[in-house]
Amino acid sequence: MNLFTFCFGLIHWLTDLINNIWYWLGDHLPWYFGDFFTAVGDFARSHSTMVVMTILLEGVVIVVVTLINVLNFIWIDRKMSGRIFDFYGPYYVGYRIGGWLQNLADGVKLFVKEIITPAKADKIGFLLAPVIFVGSSLLALATVPLSPDFAIATNPSGALVPAGVLFSFAIFAMAPFAILLAGWSSNNKYTLIGGLRSAAQMMSYEIPMLLCVASVFLMSGSLSFDGVVNAQSNIWFAIPLVIGFIVFLVCLVAEVERTPFDIPEAESELVEGWTTEYGGMRFGLFMMTDYLRGYVGGALATALFLGGWLGPEPIPGPIWFLIKAYVVFTVLAWMKWSLPRVRIDQILQLGWKRLLPLAVLNLLIAAAFKTMGWF
Amino acid sequence: MEAEKQKLSVTGWVLIPMYRTMRQFITSTFRGRPNTILYPEQKLVLPQIFRGLHTLDFKKCIGCGNCVNICPNECMWLEKVDDPELGKIERPGVDIGRCLFCNFCAEVCPTCAIHLSTEYELASNDREKFRLGPKAIRDDKFADTFVEERQRRPVPVLNLDKCNGCEACAGECPEMCIAMMPIEGTGKKKPEIALPKCTSCGKCAVVCPEKALTMTEVYESYFDMPEPKFMLKNCTGCQACLKACPAEAIYMMEMPGTEKTLKDGKKTKPKKRAVFVLDKCVGCGRCFRACKFKAIEMPGVKKE
Repeated sequence: MNLFTFCFGLIHWLTDLINNIWYWLGDHLPWYFGDFFTAVGDFARSHSTMVVMTILLEGVVIVVVTLINVLNFIWIDRKMSGRIFDFYGPYYVGYRIGGWLQNLADGVKLFVKEIITPAKADKIGFLLAPVIFVGSSLLALATVPLSPDFAIATNPSGALVPAGVLFSFAIFAMAPFAILLAGWSSNNKYTLIGGLRSAAQMMSYEIPMLLCVASVFLMSGSLSFDGVVNAQSNIWFAIPLVIGFIVFLVCLVAEVERTPFDIPEAESELVEGWTTEYGGMRFGLFMMTDYLRGYVGGALATALFLGGWLGPEPIPGPIWFLIKAYVVFTVLAWMKWSLPRVRIDQILQLGWKRLLPLAVLNLLIAAAFKTMGWF
Repeated sequence: MEAEKQKLSVTGWVLIPMYRTMRQFITSTFRGRPNTILYPEQKLVLPQIFRGLHTLDFKKCIGCGNCVNICPNECMWLEKVDDPELGKIERPGVDIGRCLFCNFCAEVCPTCAIHLSTEYELASNDREKFRLGPKAIRDDKFADTFVEERQRRPVPVLNLDKCNGCEACAGECPEMCIAMMPIEGTGKKKPEIALPKCTSCGKCAVVCPEKALTMTEVYESYFDMPEPKFMLKNCTGCQACLKACPAEAIYMMEMPGTEKTLKDGKKTKPKKRAVFVLDKCVGCGRCFRACKFKAIEMPGVKKE
């Protein structure tokens, strides 16, 4: 049983339940109402409607799983940063579970705060930027499977979306648009500089990252997560393509704007970067999305380089996938609290002069492996 | 001029910092606990010289009011207290809402009765709760719990009532710091001890036939104490200064030759004058304030 059949069964059961009441209502009403009721009920029970509802339900399941993981990620980040700096981290709220509830308490606090729109801001852009940012980050997970059975599929066979990796990276690269929009519409120097920095940084780091992904495509001969992961059944791509893996991780940090490369929101230079003017839950959404993108990055790195859901048997595939994603995120958090922020010139130098040649070299290595027929 | 380019090496910029943070992470998570003090549950052990809430030793305090005089924020006051042991006394209270914890009151105290303890949780919702009277800050045993930092040394202290002016102490002193000074109007002499020259040898106390000199440990003061100046012609012998003096440094002595013969032939008692033993004086200025005939002057002390 995969996620599609599970959700389809759930929808089937629900529509049956509701339709029984619906038809019962239709039977006890005058005939001109009854026909209408029957038509609506038949429409709701038709196969295509139920498939659409199933896909929506799958999306909800994936989003819920993602958000729970994001809460865990925020907790890991805060707790680990605390221990690295020799203090406790979240402690009192949820004392028995290591302060895990602190995130929820902060969320409630952010919800209670007033949402302020600056008087001279561009209202539409200001409101649209968080929506695009959060939406695109969640959408990037649409094609990421936790396992072949635990993924958004469109038919009962459970076949994954073809070219899912391509779709994920395309959506993942939409963030600079939202950031630039937020920076521009806030009508503030800091936000504008932050947005432009973000655009420059993301554009320069997109190229080596996608070159590494291209090497993975070359090795696996597939554009879908299914094919990429199954091609790693013998050996993870992180081992032959170790250069590519490291370059990919570094680029990932730059893409999700975590601390060694967080110059778009450098606190010491630009107050809070492009989120300066956002308060209340809008800022909360931005911060949540920061970690959400960390999760997306971890999931992508897991699927492309670390063998995805492949692992020894007793532990199910989705758990293996999550364990690997957590490990990747922990390494990102570790880097975040260890490394100093680089300057804007250093980040571009690093991107163009070091990572791009390394990525090309990695592509050559991948081509050599493929030519030798080892993969 | 081109800015100097820093060389980015993987080892120095990435590996070593990440190794160190991981080491710290393991230390604070698995090997021990983090360094933080969880404040309401755990509390720091503060050093003894921490300046917190005042404590007052009722038995050591002589009620001289030096602390009240020196307080820069004027947050101390003298309050009359009825104590079952000590009777009617005056002891200082403190308003910690205005106190700046400068430690002047503790440093100026001639008997080291005031200390600043390590109690630091002084916050309150009510301003009135900041005004702590002498009973609120009383702690007679606090001084025993730590080592006093101020230097003290034994010096000879004169009890003028016993002294008969025999000059034995002046002859014995190896440092020649005791001089017999005549007391104007009485025809007697009293030893005056130059304390800066005194070596605390104790020979004068041994040789004194009346045991008027006793070696007593005295705290050294960080401050220059004002000394009373006595003007004999204004003194009426009313003994107001004697009652006011907290350090018992004032003695009343009769002046022979001032008896008046009344009409019925009887003679009155001779007139008395105040005699100051400046070694005992703590410079509080209470005699100056008590004297109504301008017989005592203390430069640098307010008359109120």
